[in-house]
Amino acid sequence: MVKEILTLKGETDGSSASGDFPLYSDLIYHDTTAPWTPPTRILIPYGLKAKIWAKRIAAQGATIFTIYWTKDATATSPVWEAIDVEVLSSAGELALEKRRPIVIRSLTGKEGFKVSWSYPSGVTPSKGYIELEVEFTDEE
Amino acid sequence: MREVDELGLVPEGGYLTIFIPATGNAFVFRVKSRVNRGFERIHYGPLPLTAGLSLPSYLGGTVTVPATGVMPRTTYIPSELALSFPFSGVFSESDMWYIPKDWRERLFHVITEVTPKWLRIDVQIPKGVTQGRFQRDQVSTGVDRVFGFARGRIELVHFPEIHYGYRFGNDTNLNVYTGVDFTYAEYVIEIPKNPDLIFDILTRRVASKWITMPIAIYNDTIKRAFTETYGIEGFPLYREDQRAEAVSVYSGILREVKV
Repeated sequence: MVKEILTLKGETDGSSASGDFPLYSDLIYHDTTAPWTPPTRILIPYGLKAKIWAKRIAAQGATIFTIYWTKDATATSPVWEAIDVEVLSSAGELALEKRRPIVIRSLTGKEGFKVSWSYPSGVTPSKGYIELEVEFTDEE
Repeated sequence: MREVDELGLVPEGGYLTIFIPATGNAFVFRVKSRVNRGFERIHYGPLPLTAGLSLPSYLGGTVTVPATGVMPRTTYIPSELALSFPFSGVFSESDMWYIPKDWRERLFHVITEVTPKWLRIDVQIPKGVTQGRFQRDQVSTGVDRVFGFARGRIELVHFPEIHYGYRFGNDTNLNVYTGVDFTYAEYVIEIPKNPDLIFDILTRRVASKWITMPIAIYNDTIKRAFTETYGIEGFPLYREDQRAEAVSVYSGILREVKV
């Protein structure tokens, strides 16, 4: 039985109208010297599932947080499909714990996901933050 | 008495049966003592991967280990780079689980757990010889293939006189910090000298912890290690209605036993 939970943390750059969260975790290697950049997508190990159990989001203004998945996260330009959307309508924070998680299965070894930000029409970009509790497991 | 304690290790006085698929034989040991009782955990630290090492990628090409102990994204450890676990001061400082044949009364039962738990694991016995096979020798399996590996945890005994090679694989796109934890027992063992007891254990009438070793290829190194360490290559298994034949064969084998 495989079971590993990652706390993924990301923040917006505060200026772009949209983007993918760079993701940090205690298990993800972090080199502060260039040209290292944090990953913005997660490739799920072959045969396992990614279960997103909790989200904590915060922003200084209205912000849209979207989780996307793809059939091929190894592609240079994957085709992404939204699987979960959370909207903060104004500055604030929201903590969501799920009794039933968002599940993304690796059926081919290439499936993956990412988290993106955007803003409602007319809203000026501001800082936003997200934390996800993601479990990689072979359990149902 | 239960075959194992809460850690999955055999208590004093218990039996440990090690089955070798390649020969169809099994070794039966009685645990006389557990010298590290109460101190079974080793937080070993990161995998012994050196910064700058180049590893093959599941996606083709190679990826360099970015820092010591970090398993690079989408890579696996190839056969020629299989790992042992170095430890200062032990008999073989490049391989902490290796002991010589003269220490035949000692046996290490080792449960290896790696963080992150999704990392693939397989083991070469001896080092350099991959053991994963599918359909006889038709297909080799292991961390570099789509099956024939465990994830996160593997349980083995380390026989004297054999260096094992551990291989790992990371099929995410993340460069990950790694950590290894061992739960182990350093047993003082003997092979029971009563052939009826051997028969009862191998027909599962007497409780014993069974471990099936990932040995599909019976290499000369393994054969030599068994014969020079224990004097035997194990006990063949018999049906329950073959007691007389089994006891006769076991009696002959027991005359060669060294421990």
